[in-house]
Amino acid sequence: MAKVDEYKMFEGCTIGNRIPFIEASARKVFDKLGIKTSEGPFACCPDPVGFNSVDHSSWLAMGARNLTIAEAEGKDIISLCNGCFQTLKAVNHELKHDEHEKEKINKILSSIGKEFNGSINVWHFVEVLYNIGLEKIKENVTHELSGLKVACHTGCHYNRPSEIMQTDDPMKPVKLRELVAATGATPVDYEEEMLCCGAGVGNIEEEPSMQILANKFSSAINAGAEAIVVICPACFQQMDTNQKKAEKQANKTFGVPIIYLTELLALSYGIKSEEIGLKFHRSRLNALLEKHGIK
Amino acid sequence: MVSVDFELRKKVMDAHIKDTLKYCYQCARCTDVCPVSKVTDGRYDPRQIILNSFLGLKEAIFNQESNFNLWGCTICDTCDEVCPQKIGLTEVFAVLRNMSITMEEGPEYYTSQASTIYDSGKAIPMQTAIERRRDQLGLPKIEPPNIEEVQKILNETNLNKILKK
Ligand code: SF4
Ligand code: SF4
Repeated sequence: MAKVDEYKMFEGCTIGNRIPFIEASARKVFDKLGIKTSEGPFACCPDPVGFNSVDHSSWLAMGARNLTIAEAEGKDIISLCNGCFQTLKAVNHELKHDEHEKEKINKILSSIGKEFNGSINVWHFVEVLYNIGLEKIKENVTHELSGLKVACHTGCHYNRPSEIMQTDDPMKPVKLRELVAATGATPVDYEEEMLCCGAGVGNIEEEPSMQILANKFSSAINAGAEAIVVICPACFQQMDTNQKKAEKQANKTFGVPIIYLTELLALSYGIKSEEIGLKFHRSRLNALLEKHGIK
Repeated sequence: MVSVDFELRKKVMDAHIKDTLKYCYQCARCTDVCPVSKVTDGRYDPRQIILNSFLGLKEAIFNQESNFNLWGCTICDTCDEVCPQKIGLTEVFAVLRNMSITMEEGPEYYTSQASTIYDSGKAIPMQTAIERRRDQLGLPKIEPPNIEEVQKILNETNLNKILKK
């Protein structure tokens, strides 16, 4: 594990430019835990599903350019998003292991006076939190969330393909569950824990995407979950923004709040819901917060 | 008559860094775990794409009535994980999708997102309303990327031509 004084913050397009309230919770939690970050003029990661499907070389070149910005400062990157994390980690990995590809990309980067060296690491915020130690995570809890049952959903690009990502078990990840448990909440076991949120297929057809999502919700709710905890803004949006559509498709009412891990931690650290913009969620949290005495 | 396209085979084999495609023994573990296959009664079938690309059956992959056979994958990487032959399936799919884009068969969502990234450096450009919200939430300003640099490298990779910019 590298000793890192300060990370380059990679909030990504979705969090930074669409749902910044998630970034607010992340920054507040990082402050409490002494995780230091600084900004950088990063472009889109770019999207490992969308942009890589269009042109792999362009995806590599754009990802490499972002990495060189952090390399220039000798700082590791912390990502708040599974997608950015997968792209930056996979590009770093591919260019470090494929001399030929690296040469090709460096030739392209030389046109803007940059060079990829492979000298920094890329981290998912869940890994960073986990590496700080569960004890330290617990120390800051002032409002134990005991009694709150949640379904953990890591999403796909956090831990797969494991050969590259190496964050957690590829089919039975534990870090998110343990971090959730540190707040006093209880992660439930549910059959479809590893099921994708279905966002990717939604780019071309809505029905299968909503069916996958509905199956996910049903499984979590049947296991007694009162909320779903996520660590990726694409999963968040799919589950929060599209929940009504999934209800329509399945002809069921889910009404399940979707909570980002950093929001859950912030609440357990006594940070007020207004400070982190919880009102911007579509699936309302009020009833849940009230039930568990959270302000 | 089924025609075999050797160029397609070569392209996939060359670009597929793990070079394990030929070891696929069609066990269908990939399709078994595929969430899209499950909700579409097998209309989407990863095993079939791997077979078709290994055999070079270009006509079975491209120029279909629907491009769901190729673009239906949600890229959850579960198949990559369970494949006993360690075939990086999603890597093969990326090669095929890149080809589909150059053949102008790619779905609108994908080309228009790439176009936005080319134009603004971001998949989701910043808006004044969000800037204001960031302010209210006490968040720092997002440093804008150097668009000139972004476009320069994307011209080097020919994305401007691919997207007809
Ligand atoms: S799981 Fe692997 S070996 Fe089996 S059919 Fe799919 S690609 Fe081929
Ligand atoms: S990556 Fe695509 S083909 Fe593989 S299991 Fe997921 S949806 Fe199916």
